[in-house]
Amino acid sequence: MRFALAWSSLRRHTTRTLLATLGVAVAAAMLLDMVMMSTGMRESFRELLLSRGFQLRLAPKGTLPFDTDATIKNTSGILTILRTNPAITTVSPVLGGTIQIPRGNRVVTSSALGINPLVQGDYELLAGKDPLADDAIVGNDDFLKATGARIGDTLDIASGYDPELRTYAASRKMVLTGRVRFLYGAADQLATAMRLGTLQQLSGTEHANDASLFMIRIRNDSEVEGVRRWTERMIPGVSGISTATALVQVDQRLSYFRQLAVILGSVSLFVGFLLVTTLVTVSVNERIGEITVMRALGVSRSHIVQQIVMEATALMITGSIAGLGLGLATGHYLNAILSSFPGLPVAINFFLFQPSSAWTALGLLALSGIAAGVYPSFRAASLPIATTLRQDAIA
Amino acid sequence: MPLLAALLLIQHPLQRTIAIDERLAEDAHIRIGDRVVVSGAPNATMGDTVIVSAIVKRGADPAEIARSEYRVRMHLDQLQSLAGYGDRVDRFAVATRGPAATEKALAEINASAFGFEAHRSRDIAVETSKTFQVVSRFHKAIGFITIVASAIFLLCIMLLKVEERRRDIAALRLMGISRYTVVLSVVAEAALLALVGSALGIALSYIASTFINWYYQGVYRTPLYFSLITPPILTLAVVLSLVLGIGAGLLASLRLARTPPISLFGR
Repeated sequence: MRFALAWSSLRRHTTRTLLATLGVAVAAAMLLDMVMMSTGMRESFRELLLSRGFQLRLAPKGTLPFDTDATIKNTSGILTILRTNPAITTVSPVLGGTIQIPRGNRVVTSSALGINPLVQGDYELLAGKDPLADDAIVGNDDFLKATGARIGDTLDIASGYDPELRTYAASRKMVLTGRVRFLYGAADQLATAMRLGTLQQLSGTEHANDASLFMIRIRNDSEVEGVRRWTERMIPGVSGISTATALVQVDQRLSYFRQLAVILGSVSLFVGFLLVTTLVTVSVNERIGEITVMRALGVSRSHIVQQIVMEATALMITGSIAGLGLGLATGHYLNAILSSFPGLPVAINFFLFQPSSAWTALGLLALSGIAAGVYPSFRAASLPIATTLRQDAIA
Repeated sequence: MPLLAALLLIQHPLQRTIAIDERLAEDAHIRIGDRVVVSGAPNATMGDTVIVSAIVKRGADPAEIARSEYRVRMHLDQLQSLAGYGDRVDRFAVATRGPAATEKALAEINASAFGFEAHRSRDIAVETSKTFQVVSRFHKAIGFITIVASAIFLLCIMLLKVEERRRDIAALRLMGISRYTVVLSVVAEAALLALVGSALGIALSYIASTFINWYYQGVYRTPLYFSLITPPILTLAVVLSLVLGIGAGLLASLRLARTPPISLFGR
């Protein structure tokens, strides 16, 4: 009965109801996007960091991994120190660099990672083999496309380009053994990986024992913080970055987007609430005579309140359901825009859909729908019957 | 006099000076005249002792806002020595007499240069501002969604506002006032409402903009402006509000004007 009355009231003004539903749908879409953005990028980054099970990273003191060109000296010495800690199960040293590949009359420049292929956590092998030999190299699709090379091809790899003399500090022939996808790679970035020792040799004597980063796997998650403090104490030139501290850093750098999400999400919720409140209030004002007659016929106050709250909630929920689809589409579009940030790993999503995001948005809108119906319903239910009927008859 | 100068030099050997940015000065509690040791590596046991001779204001560079970095300015030769950079530099900044001179210099340098390449500052700015182009595109997309939501909200409100006038309009029509006059009066009312609403919106946006700039300049410790209200933005907001307000008023009033007055009374 209550639902039927609420439904007929909404159907009475089709244009108005449709516009309100559309308004709520846009507000809901915006709210869902903002909920997705406020939690998505953090979650996406966390998933990326933990994707290969390395809970701790060591970078040159005061820097984030690969944030600068700074390197950590004495890699072998550091590896020896790290292996003395029984809580550490795996250490994967990584050196970053740039290599040049002369192809005919042009030179292709690519980023290169020096890794230990047995414990690496930087790429996923798609085809072929890991670079187990000293003269082996693997590349991503962009690299293969830019060089026109295929698995099994031998490439001239050079490094240390001297622009004054137009010569290279080092060069060697290497065999392309695999096609890989780099987990932290940016869009359109040419990237390769080879054994750490090979890249150290190519980087010259200055970097013969350098690493840019150490990725560390620890036996228990509860020991991560202890190991982080231990590494900073034992190796003074490094900063230990656990997943938690990396997330704090990311939060700081991307705080603008999180705050924007909170502000725009709140505004969307408020706009949806205001729209439904206004519509329901006007609708109740138009039906004051009708409501008073119902009251005079013996319909209880709670019945009136429930009917009006139901009307507001129905508007909100219908609009929200339409808005969820719209939100996913706009979220996908907005994510495509932000994913084109230079240097941002392709795997990072700013708008990560999680069922909890949809439930949060839907729950908030349903609550605001109920709140939007509270004021007009109480006002309608508390009108004095005789006076209101008389005023309505005179009008 | 030259002897006195020479004696002073012996007593106070020429100490190198550096300039630091205000953020570093504040965080490290460094003042002008303080002696600090600078080195090219973290935890280095050796370094150069220098005097802080200036504290400089940070520039409004958007590229720096997300990075909590400090800036130190020192003499070129000293940095080359500290960084083990030899006699190399990363770039030369060249001032020219005008756009024509820039083109000429660019062509001549690139024709004769060996090991380096000249670029226009404008081209470098475009290349390094890609991050902000992305942010700008994102803001535009968000702005578009906001405009759609506002437009629907405004349409709803105007529709309701005109619907409320059913009985007034019916009375006017029964008194012999023409449909045209009724529609015109409702549209004029809608335009006035949209105009007053726009004025209030502009005032509100100035307050919001001031708050946003105050807040984010504090958070990122930068003189950069995060929110700028420009004449084109104001014009767009007012025009959009007027068009939507008048459009909604016109639609609703035309519908009411076409309905027989008795029906408008609900009889």
